[in-house]
Amino acid sequence: MLLDYDRLGWLKVALLGFTALVAAFLLLPVVFIVLLSFGSSRWLAFPPPGWTLKWYEELFADPSWIEAALTSARIATMTAILAVAIGLLASFALVRAQFRGREILRGLLLTPMVLPVVVFAIAIYAFFLKLGLGGTTIGFVVAHTVLALPFAIIPIATALEGFDKSVEDAAIVCGASPIQAKLRITLPSIRIGIFSAAIFSFLASWDEVVVAIFMASPTLQTLPVKIWGSLRSDLTPVIAAASSLLVALTLALMVVTALLRRKLQT
Amino acid sequence: MTQPFLSIRKLRKAFGAFTAVHDVTLDIPKGEFLTFLGPSGSGKSTTLYAIAGFQDPTSGNVLLQGKSLLSVPSHKRNIGMVFQRYTLFPHLSVAENVAFPLRVRRRPDSEIKRKVADMLSLVRLESFAERLPAALSGGQQQRVALARALAYDPPILLMDEPLSALDKKLREEIQAEIRRIHRETGVTILYVTHDQEEALHLSDRIALFRDGRIEQIGTGEDLYLRPATDFVAGFIGNSNFLAAEHLATVDGASTIRLADGSLVSGIHANGSFASGQRARLMIRPEAFHLERSPNTVELAVEIVDVAFYGERRRIVARTGTGQEIDIRPTSAALAAQDVTPSHRAVFFDPGTAFLFPA
Amino acid sequence: MSVEAQQGIATPRIPAGLGGLLPALILIGLFFVVPVLALLLRSVTDPAPGLQNYAALLGDGTYARVFFNTFLVAAVVTIVTVLVAFPVAWMLAIMPPALASIMFGIIILSMWTNLLTRTYAWMVLLQRTGVINRALVSAGIIDQPLPLINNLTGVTIGMVYIMLPFMILPLVGTLRAIDPMTLRAAALCGASPLAAFRRILLPLSLPGIAAGGLMVFVMSLGYFVTPALLGGTSNMMLAEMIAQMIQSLLNWGLGSAAAFILLIVTMSLYALQLRLVGSKRSTGAA
Repeated sequence: MLLDYDRLGWLKVALLGFTALVAAFLLLPVVFIVLLSFGSSRWLAFPPPGWTLKWYEELFADPSWIEAALTSARIATMTAILAVAIGLLASFALVRAQFRGREILRGLLLTPMVLPVVVFAIAIYAFFLKLGLGGTTIGFVVAHTVLALPFAIIPIATALEGFDKSVEDAAIVCGASPIQAKLRITLPSIRIGIFSAAIFSFLASWDEVVVAIFMASPTLQTLPVKIWGSLRSDLTPVIAAASSLLVALTLALMVVTALLRRKLQT
Repeated sequence: MTQPFLSIRKLRKAFGAFTAVHDVTLDIPKGEFLTFLGPSGSGKSTTLYAIAGFQDPTSGNVLLQGKSLLSVPSHKRNIGMVFQRYTLFPHLSVAENVAFPLRVRRRPDSEIKRKVADMLSLVRLESFAERLPAALSGGQQQRVALARALAYDPPILLMDEPLSALDKKLREEIQAEIRRIHRETGVTILYVTHDQEEALHLSDRIALFRDGRIEQIGTGEDLYLRPATDFVAGFIGNSNFLAAEHLATVDGASTIRLADGSLVSGIHANGSFASGQRARLMIRPEAFHLERSPNTVELAVEIVDVAFYGERRRIVARTGTGQEIDIRPTSAALAAQDVTPSHRAVFFDPGTAFLFPA
Repeated sequence: MSVEAQQGIATPRIPAGLGGLLPALILIGLFFVVPVLALLLRSVTDPAPGLQNYAALLGDGTYARVFFNTFLVAAVVTIVTVLVAFPVAWMLAIMPPALASIMFGIIILSMWTNLLTRTYAWMVLLQRTGVINRALVSAGIIDQPLPLINNLTGVTIGMVYIMLPFMILPLVGTLRAIDPMTLRAAALCGASPLAAFRRILLPLSLPGIAAGGLMVFVMSLGYFVTPALLGGTSNMMLAEMIAQMIQSLLNWGLGSAAAFILLIVTMSLYALQLRLVGSKRSTGAA
């Protein structure tokens, strides 16, 4: 009876109550930050003595914040493109080709997702210092692509596994070349996977902190690096404003993803 | 006054606007094998679940040896149950599965060992004691489930369509096992199935469920030879229904006019009929003969199809009015004959036919 | 026009065989495997060839402190996360779908929200003059504000917050895979709810708990951001120490060695999990 929702009696009340508490625990800090970003207290007092938009004004007036956001966007976009391209090619091989050690190879490609980022961060930092790529956009994008690749491969490979290859073969029989068949038939069919891969890769780069801290230079700062720097020195509410915007972005992305998923599935 | 061993009184279960069980009342003596038979959704499983305690009835009572079960939580009811999906504990060995009810009752280890051995020999699975359920076939898993259910000597054993997941041959084997175990242990069994052959094979009595009510309860013979309604007649055994017009009934024997105009007398009347009332004549396929004999009346048919079924033939024939009927004659003489599609007469004893309201 | 040609990458066609793996292998090989190996090399050659760096790390008291703190926090975070996640996952596995979707939405929103944002929220909440302390003081539960930040307590709270979704989601899958009939059978066999939980539900959930717990433990060991922001300088954790060795102290030898120790421990635990669960499930879906 323990897995029958209506037969749990008092246990159901207890579990439901606990779950509600956890939901509040997960939700409140984020709500809190958003509220604080509109509060007038410089010292983040809660409840705020008044409401204001001045932190947002300060945020948008400060060129270094805008610069950081644009840098992040640029790097994340390039990372997403690169990760999806490489991931697409790799997924085809991983899903279609039969060879020994395929599982090991798949594990290897997914390793960056699993290993502590700080280890990778200092390794790539040292490597790029030697190559003179430290503090460059290229270095950033390459490093982020390594981290984002697993996030691209997993949804694409999953979508490809669920795709019936005989449809592609039928296209070839109809006269399409293998590449044409893939472009016209396969890729559109797995577009949900490709879209997810793009979103996840973008976010992996956009949110990435540790590597960015090492790869950043005074002239090349991503948004997380800027926030990190501010957090270390001073907890100004401007950070709350920036964070709230990030939350808004997250919500928007979640909604867009859900809507597009539903639309693409029908 | 001796109270019945298990008593279900006016049991009712409603799910919102839908009533699954309407008013089920029945008494079950100790040691009986009673089957709840019926189509899907007829309320038989719901009634069983109320006895097990998985669902609280909307109203009514269930009494075991005079005491109400309803206020007792499931784990204290001391009832055995075997499920459709075996439901063995996947992480425990066969022996540990059977031992489980004894362990939660904190019986001493020596008693547990002995009981498990007894149970496993009862279901003839002694050598499987250390295996995990995943290593067993469906039939073997069901036997372990049976051993587990009987390990604590419950007064009643509930069985919810336990054999529907098995193939026919295996089903028949385990049916025989169940009959044997019932004989050897004398436990009271409540068995749910939608398979009427299974019900006839296993039970002392059958309760036929329809839309949440018991349509008829009795032995298999009662239901087969003396169906109370056309539903019972149609559910138990095979049947053919012919349109008829009731003319008169004298001393329980009716005279009717069939669609082709012929008159037949001596039919069992199930219910009272007015003269001229439309009715249905029910004749079992096995009641037809291919030769005339005293007491039989004739029916002109056109034979459409003949199939060989092993121990008998199945003949599909069409009456003069175009209705298809199923004929499965058992006469030994049939083996020698070759029945080919043709026009001929078939015969039946009106005393073996029933009349129901239309 | 092929996808690669649009990006200006050299390969002119989509190969049907192993060739497609080439770009990925080059990327991972050149920019992941090589740098990490170079790091290992550095740890045994900087400043001089030999294992002195490792000896220093494993022998010295201050470094031992850091390793200990890191393992302690990871263990506590794992245990707390498991204890909190289990009831929630239990509910989510059997709740009506409408309620469950709301909870899932909250969990996923939390997961997708920027890590810095989430950590920042706790930095503000856990301050001496922050909401939590002020509420506790005004409720009369404590007289003085509790030190909840710049110590391991703050780190633990923050890490549990981050790790919860990673524990809850797989655990829901595990619990949903258990047939509810099994628990009903247990009840009829005479098991009280407590006995059924102890003998049936818990053992059957254990594989999921072990897999999730191991993942949370491994992640907590190597985590940088949250411990760095919520922890104090006096009881640093491993990732922050490594970063400090490299960035502030420029002690590449020691830093690389520490990084490599972290790497080895992580890989061993990951290999252990692979053996427990099987490779597909341990990496899961993004």
